[in-house]
Amino acid sequence: MTAQITNPVSGAEALTSTPGPAPSPPPSRLRRLARAALPGPAPGANGAAMYRRWWLPWLWTAPAVVCAVVFGVFPFLNTVLLSFTNAKPLGGAASFVGLDNYTRMLQDDDFWLATRNSILYAVIVVPLMVLLPLMLAVLVEKNLPGIGFFRSAFYTPVLASSVVVGLSWQWLLADDGLVNTWLEKAHLIKSAIPFLSDSWLILLSAMGLTLWKGLGWYMVFYLAALGNVPKELHEAAQMDGAGAVRRFFHITVPGVRTAMMLVGTLTGIGSLRVFTEIYMLGSSTGGPGGADRTLPFYIRDVGLDPITGNAGYGSAVSVALFALTLGLTLLAQRLTKEDES
Amino acid sequence: MRARRLTGSLSCLVVLTLTAAGCGLSGGSDDGGATAGACKVDKGNVGSGKLTGDVKGTITFQTTNLKKDFGDFFNGVIADFEKAHAGAKVKWIDDPGDNTFTSRTVADAQACTMADVINVNAPTATALTKAGYLLDIGTKDPAASKPFVPSFWKTATFADAAGKSIHTTLPWYTGGVLLTYNKDLLAKADIDPAKPPTSIFGLFADYEKIAKASDGKYFATMANPIWRIPADFDQMGIKVLSSDGKSAVFGDDPRTTEWVEWMAKLYKEGAMPKDSLSSSNDPSTLYSQGKVAYGSTNPSFVRFVKQNSPSVYAKTAVGQQPYDDLGVASAGAPQYISVAATSKHAATALSFAEFLTNAENQTAWCKDPAVVIFPTTTESLNDPFFQNVTGTDPFSQARKLVADQLKTASTNQTNLSPAVQNAIVSQVQLAMQGKKSAADAVKDAQEKSNELLKQGS
Repeated sequence: MTAQITNPVSGAEALTSTPGPAPSPPPSRLRRLARAALPGPAPGANGAAMYRRWWLPWLWTAPAVVCAVVFGVFPFLNTVLLSFTNAKPLGGAASFVGLDNYTRMLQDDDFWLATRNSILYAVIVVPLMVLLPLMLAVLVEKNLPGIGFFRSAFYTPVLASSVVVGLSWQWLLADDGLVNTWLEKAHLIKSAIPFLSDSWLILLSAMGLTLWKGLGWYMVFYLAALGNVPKELHEAAQMDGAGAVRRFFHITVPGVRTAMMLVGTLTGIGSLRVFTEIYMLGSSTGGPGGADRTLPFYIRDVGLDPITGNAGYGSAVSVALFALTLGLTLLAQRLTKEDES
Repeated sequence: MRARRLTGSLSCLVVLTLTAAGCGLSGGSDDGGATAGACKVDKGNVGSGKLTGDVKGTITFQTTNLKKDFGDFFNGVIADFEKAHAGAKVKWIDDPGDNTFTSRTVADAQACTMADVINVNAPTATALTKAGYLLDIGTKDPAASKPFVPSFWKTATFADAAGKSIHTTLPWYTGGVLLTYNKDLLAKADIDPAKPPTSIFGLFADYEKIAKASDGKYFATMANPIWRIPADFDQMGIKVLSSDGKSAVFGDDPRTTEWVEWMAKLYKEGAMPKDSLSSSNDPSTLYSQGKVAYGSTNPSFVRFVKQNSPSVYAKTAVGQQPYDDLGVASAGAPQYISVAATSKHAATALSFAEFLTNAENQTAWCKDPAVVIFPTTTESLNDPFFQNVTGTDPFSQARKLVADQLKTASTNQTNLSPAVQNAIVSQVQLAMQGKKSAADAVKDAQEKSNELLKQGS
C-alpha cells in the first residue's frame, strides 16, 4: 500500500513488483474471459481498451441475434430458397425449378386478384387507421369525470377474441341483422344490403372490422404521444383565436407526426397480412368465388394445404408479399420525408 | 478492419443459414437407416413384415376435443389397457380440433413429435400416409381387420407416396347420414313428410316448392355449396376424382352441370338465405328457429334440436337421405385411429389402437348418453342397443335408421383436400350469383382442381 503511494505505478505493475509470496499461475481462459467481460481493466490494457474487444458487443447481443436469426433471418432465407423449388408442405424430396414459380405467379389471375385486394386493403385502411384513433385519442385525452369508462369502452374490441368479433359482425351484417333491420325501419332501404354475399361489401366490411378492432389499440399509442405536445402551444394558439379544428391540424398533428408514421407503418404491414377478417366474413373460400382473398389467404390455399399444397409456389407468393410490404413502406417513408422538406 | 469483420460475420451467417436451409430441403440425410417421412425410426416400423415387440413403455394417445365430455370413459379404457399390460403406460392428450388441426398435426409429424396413437380425419390421414408418417397397420398386423364391418375396413385405406393404397388407419366411429326436416314447413309447401325424395334432384324439387310457398319468410336449406360437396356427388354416384386420385373428373358427368344449374336456380328463387352463400354457418341455428325446413344430415343434429328447441323438435321428422344411383345409403365420413410410424414403442401403440377400437370399447362408448355416434365393428352393430330401438320419437328413429343402414352402407367417401374443395365451391358460388354459367363454372372448377392436384402430386 505504501509502495503504491510513494511510487505510483499501474495496478498491474504494483502487483508484480510488490515483494511477497510466489507469483500466481497465469490466469485461466475462463478468468481471462471474465476479466474482459466484467467492468474493470483487462491485464495489460487501460479502461478504454476493454471496449475495443470486437466480440464483446456480439456477446451481449447474442441472445437477441440468435432469436432474430432462428425466427427471422433463417425462415426468410429459407422461404426465398424454397421459392425456387417445388417443395411440398410435408417435406420430402424437392428439386429446383428456377423461376418457374415466379413465371406461374405472374400469369396467375388469382394471384393478381389477391394482390389487388391486399393493396386496396392497405390503401383504404391505413389512412383511416392513422387518423381515426388520433381523433379518438383527442376526444378522450382530457381528464373529465367518467372519461375512464369511454377509454375502456374504446379499448374493449382489442381484447375481444377474433372468433367472438367475427360472430358479432356476422350477426350485425346479416340480411336480417341489426344494421339492415335498422336501415329498413328507418325507411332508408327497401331490401337488405348484401353485406355478406356481395364480394365488394364483404371486403369493405372486413376493413370496417379491422378498423373497429384496431382503433382502441392505436388510440393508446396516440394518448402517449399527445402527452408530449406542449400545452403552451395550444394556449397561445387559442389566445390568437385559433379554433379547435385549426389547432388539431396545426399543433396536434405536427406534434404527433412521429407516432403517426409509426402507426402508418404498422397498420400498413398489418393490412397486407390480413386473413382472419376475410375468413370470418367470407368463410373458407374467401367470399363467394374466392373474390375477397388477400395474399395471405391465397398463400394458405396454394402453399399450405397438406395434400395439394406447393410450398415452393406458396413461398414465391410470400416473397412477392414481402416485396410489396417493403415497397409500400419505403414509398410511405419517402412521401413523408418529401412532405416534411 | 471492423467493417471487414462485420462483413465476414454476416457472410458466415448467410452461408450457415443457407446451408441449414439446404439441409431442410433435402428431406434429411440418407445413411441407410429406416425413415418415416424425414424421421429416423425403428426398422420394424416400416417395410414388410409383422410388427413384433413387447407391449411396454410409455406412449402418447391424442384425441380431438374429447377430454371435456368423455374424460371418464377414456381414462377407464386407458386404465383397462394398462392393467392388461403391465409395463405399458398411456399418456392421453386432447387436441382442440380447430380448422388448423391438419396443419398442426403435419407440423408435429415433420418434427418427429407426433403422438404414438392419434385420432385423425380423412384429410389428415391422406396427408400423413402420403408422407409416410403412419404405420401400415394392414402389413404390421394382418389380423387387424377382423372386428370391422368389411366395407369400413375396405375403404379405410389411403395412398402412400407411390400411390399404393395401404391400411394406415383403423375405422373408429361415424356420425351417420340421414334427412332431417320440419314437417310443418314441408306440409305448407304440399310436400308429404312421410315420403322423402329418393334422389338429390327430387330433393331439389322439394326445395323449390318450399321457396315458392314461403315467400321469403323461411327457407329450404343453406346456400353455401361447401355443405354439399362432395357429399351430394358421392350420393349421386358422380365420380369426383380419377381412380389414382391425380385428376378431377366430376365435370365429365353431365349431372354435375345439372346439379349446379339447380343450385343456381334455387338460390335465385329464394330457397336459401342470400347471405349464407359463403357463410360458415350450418343450418343448426336457423332450423332451431323454425326458419329452415331441412336440417343437418346426422342424428347428432336431431339430439341438438331436441335439447335446444323442443318446439321445433316436436315438428321434426327423419328420413332416408336420397342416394340416387349409388343404390345404398352413405355411411358418412368416419373418424380413424392411426399409429405413428415414428413411435418408439410401436408394438404398444398398435396394441392400444386395436384395444381402443375393439367391439367392446366401441359399443361402450356409443352407449354413452352424451354422444350420438355409430360403431364400425360388426359385433357392436349387432348389439341390442342398435338393433332394438323402440322409441318413436325423432331421435330414436334417427338412431334406428342409421344403425339399420350401416352394415350395407357405402363407406366410399371422396377425400378432397380443403384447397380443392374450396376451388370447386368457389366456382359453384359464382354460378349461383349468376356471374357465370353452370357449364363454365363446372369447367373452371375442374381446371382449377386439376391445377391444384397437379402441383400437389
